[in-house]
Amino acid sequence: MMIPPALEAKADEYIGHYPPDRKRSAVLPLLHLLQHEFRFISDEAVEWVAQKLGIAKIDVLGVVTFYPGFRQTAPGKYHVRVCRTLSCAMAGSHQLMESLCAEADIDRSHADHHHPIAVSADGTFSIEFAECLASCGSGPVCMVEDDFYEKVDPTVEGARSLLNSYRHR
Amino acid sequence: MVQDLSTISATIDGESHVIESGDTLLKFVDRHRGRGHVPTLCDAPQLAPYGACRVCSVEVALQPDGPRRVVAACHTPLAAGMHIFTESAKVQKLRRNIVELVLTDHPLDCLTCEVNGNCELQTVAAKVGIRGVRYPAGANHLDRAKDQSHPYMTSDLSKCINCSRCVRACDEIQGQFVLSMHGRGFNARIIKGLDTSFEKSPCVSCGACAQACPTSAISDVFQSKSIEASRKTRTVCTYCGVGCNLNVATKGNEILSIQAPLDSEVNHAHTCLKGRYAFKFVKHRDRLRSPLVRVNGRLQPATWEEAYAHIVENLTRIKADHGGHAVAGISSARCTNEENYLMQKFIRVGFGTNNIDACARVCHSPTAWGMQKAFGTGAATNSVEDLQYTNCIMVIGANPTEGHPVTGSKIKQRALKGVPLIIIDPREIELVPFATHHLQLRPGTNVALLDMLAYYIWEAGLTDQEFITKRCENWAEFEAGLKSLDLDALERIHGVPREKVKAAAIEYASAENAMAFHGLGVTEHSHGSKTVMTIANLAMMTGNIGRPGVGVNPLRGQNNVQGAADMGCQPHQGAGYLQVNDPSNHLLYEQFYGAHISNEIGLKIPQMYEAALAGHLKAMWIVGEDVVQTDPNTEHVKAAISSLEFLVVQELFMTPTAEYADVVLPASSFLEKSGTFTNGERRVQRVNAVIAPLAGTKPDGQILCEIMQRMGLSQPDYTPEGVLAEIARIVPFFKGATWDGLTEQGTQWPIQEGGIGTEILHIDAFKRGLGKFHFFPFQESKEIEKHHQEFPFILTTGRILEHYNCGTMTRRTGNAQIVTEDLLAIHPQDAAMKNIEDQDQVRIFSARGEVRMKARLSTEVQPGILYTTFHFPENLVNVVTSSECDEDTLCPEYKVVAVDIEKVHAPDATTIPALTH
Ligand code: SF4
Ligand code: SF4
Ligand code: SF4
Ligand code: FES
Ligand code: FES
Repeated sequence: MMIPPALEAKADEYIGHYPPDRKRSAVLPLLHLLQHEFRFISDEAVEWVAQKLGIAKIDVLGVVTFYPGFRQTAPGKYHVRVCRTLSCAMAGSHQLMESLCAEADIDRSHADHHHPIAVSADGTFSIEFAECLASCGSGPVCMVEDDFYEKVDPTVEGARSLLNSYRHR
Repeated sequence: MVQDLSTISATIDGESHVIESGDTLLKFVDRHRGRGHVPTLCDAPQLAPYGACRVCSVEVALQPDGPRRVVAACHTPLAAGMHIFTESAKVQKLRRNIVELVLTDHPLDCLTCEVNGNCELQTVAAKVGIRGVRYPAGANHLDRAKDQSHPYMTSDLSKCINCSRCVRACDEIQGQFVLSMHGRGFNARIIKGLDTSFEKSPCVSCGACAQACPTSAISDVFQSKSIEASRKTRTVCTYCGVGCNLNVATKGNEILSIQAPLDSEVNHAHTCLKGRYAFKFVKHRDRLRSPLVRVNGRLQPATWEEAYAHIVENLTRIKADHGGHAVAGISSARCTNEENYLMQKFIRVGFGTNNIDACARVCHSPTAWGMQKAFGTGAATNSVEDLQYTNCIMVIGANPTEGHPVTGSKIKQRALKGVPLIIIDPREIELVPFATHHLQLRPGTNVALLDMLAYYIWEAGLTDQEFITKRCENWAEFEAGLKSLDLDALERIHGVPREKVKAAAIEYASAENAMAFHGLGVTEHSHGSKTVMTIANLAMMTGNIGRPGVGVNPLRGQNNVQGAADMGCQPHQGAGYLQVNDPSNHLLYEQFYGAHISNEIGLKIPQMYEAALAGHLKAMWIVGEDVVQTDPNTEHVKAAISSLEFLVVQELFMTPTAEYADVVLPASSFLEKSGTFTNGERRVQRVNAVIAPLAGTKPDGQILCEIMQRMGLSQPDYTPEGVLAEIARIVPFFKGATWDGLTEQGTQWPIQEGGIGTEILHIDAFKRGLGKFHFFPFQESKEIEKHHQEFPFILTTGRILEHYNCGTMTRRTGNAQIVTEDLLAIHPQDAAMKNIEDQDQVRIFSARGEVRMKARLSTEVQPGILYTTFHFPENLVNVVTSSECDEDTLCPEYKVVAVDIEKVHAPDATTIPALTH
């Protein structure tokens, strides 16, 4: 794992926001930086953060595993998050999930709490369920990378048109 | 005026009691109603309050009939005027519900569980009145696999109740951060390392987590929490000078397991893996089970009487032919005070010679000598407990997390709490990441660095002038010495940038209370004693003497190094440190023993070898020390002991030294005998026999009494009480010591009449009156002067946590599976220069010989420095070490050896591992 100098500088800047004896408080901002750079938090990334903050590796891992927003395995080129909280569930998020998987060729049968992410055979897409994405009145809601989609058509056709806009980029 | 009771008391179920500062509701209730009155699951006395399980819920009101609130008792601070209700219907129902929910995710196979009968979950469930679980089976964690990967630690996390006690034990007691909670909510589960097994995790097997776990979710291979034992005996660990108390569980004459007593002042529910788990050597098949006598050149089994008769005949003859000075003894810092006392008595009274020494010679003799010169007493000035009160910790030439693990953990915990920590060590030891300052000096330059520290304290005006004028002498000369220092030269010598030295000096000197610890990295040098006196200078010039949280504190290597010296196993001082050549002491000893005692200083261990080679010394008696493996310059030692006419060795196992003996006497281990050990903080503690001696062996004390009787000395049979009483009559600082008076916690000497101990030395005055400053300029070791040109690397040696010295005991336990060989640490830069890769075989050669071992590339050492341990004698690293010694005490210089290295090219090309790039 090569840490780009710009990332390291940014990390140092974040650490500087906290008093020297509370460096550990920078653990979340640093993890976000790393996930943004490498798309997931590897064991090396955990070690790097631990070293940087002078705390135990296992304490960093505890944080990583506490927040579902942090991924521990590599996602596809485009990562999709489908809201499954109540309003969206009633508006069809489970159907949406099935359609997206079918369309993107993703096998989600092995996904569970410990391995929430499933990746398509060709590595283009990955998918997971997310909790409320804060637009409950306009479900089903999903995100592809940082793009937000509301009132998504949960059929296979809907899923296809959504994914196609990424395929053809 | 009548004091309003409500300002100092609170009530429990209507009954009023006085509160104490720092009370939580639970502590208060425990004190007045007994532990267990309020059930608990996540709380443990050895851990900080946590408040996770809520089983300890109680109701609290501020008026007797006022509104009540339910709180968790374990982490709610107590205030005066509170009314606590511990048994209301509401809390009882709540507790029952909580425990019932816990049980929905816990296997109900108590009858076959190893902790059945000693499970806190079982106890609590019974206490709150669980009759059954009403919830249908749902999602659970019952399928979590067992972890049996490790030689000692085990887990069966299907039994885990997520109380986090193990995590907190590892964090708060050991400071290893191996365990954590992974995930959240229902998915939360305990993991080791980055979610791996015990074996692959950085666990150091201290066992604190297993002892803290309320169920059998984390345990050990000895099933230490099971109730199989029929008896528990409290004794003291024999593996290091910390002196941890142990509770040993036995059934019949078998040792089942060892736990740490919760109430022990020394180790508070903590040990390292040596104390807790390394006991299987006791019944190892290699134990000697019969005396051996050399017949026609071969050691043959003999009866005790035959062996004794053989010894008496030979020693009597040698004494008659060559005089008592032809006999010498080496006692053991592993043995009890009583045994050490008897050993020196045997040599001094039996032969009229002071040729008695102990293995302290090769470790802490410079400490005893140096501290006596400076303060008047060669022992730690303070207690380890004082870490609580100190504002700055300085660790010099010691690696406490490996050598003195329980003290090491305490230092780490203080550093984690923000107490500044200064490490002076050539290596990046485990404590360095927790330290504020690391002065990484070149091995052998302690005096240069410490002189510079003193200089900067002086320059910054941080000296305690009042203390210096009132309590010390020789300041003017010392100050002149400091003024004469050439800082540029010193910086070049020790290699640490001066700003770093200055910053550490200011940290140490400006702390309200600063505490120094040192180890063998200080003493095992040609200027070891001088370094000790230099440390004493630092403490005196800053007034860090005579109160809690300060002082000069040697970390004693072997469990009873302190005791061996106290008891007189030194050639220049008899029992109680009385100089043997002082006429009044001499008279005292002669009167006390009613015998002729020599008033000439006897031979130190290295001098014994010289005398043997020169033909003056004819017989030696060695108790429990493998000098061939542990003393420097092996060939020289072998030549010396093989030139003796008669050698007696008392041992647990056949050792390379015992191979040279004429008589080998099988001794009992510490678990099979009673007496006292004195730990590194002068605490005299009772060692209690846990099991009967292995058939055929005898405790060393009994052996010594029996031989003395047969040599015609008037010596009663061995009892620990009896010998201790004799010691109390001659050793001034044991005056008030009695077997019963020592109590479970032990007593720190000097022990006054009435059994009153002393926690801190030199409070109002030094033992020698005034504390004495000594200035020493730096001197290069002769080893470097003579050999550095030809052998440009400096090899330094140390030890690791898992093994004890040459491993005679630890290598006969599960510890051998954890660490299997000595490795040579080498900086990657040097390795690249020498074309050496990780795990390559390397030849290390010095002016004396060569050894081979595997390389381990590491930046813990600086370029030019090599480091290895000495636990695996097949490497015989001491073949290469020198005969250079501390000038004052002849303690050998193990820490500085000029060597060179080269890669060993395997003869068969296929054995060279394929390159990966
Ligand atoms: S045995 Fe000690 S080091 Fe290992 S996990 Fe348990 S507490 Fe931590
Ligand atoms: S392993 Fe034991 S101590 Fe650790 S959380 Fe589980 S039950 Fe508690
Ligand atoms: S720290 Fe020392 S005394 Fe304590 S258990 Fe370990 S070896 Fe024994
Ligand atoms: S429930 Fe889907 S966005 Fe809130
Ligand atoms: S014992 Fe108090 S909350 Fe667990």
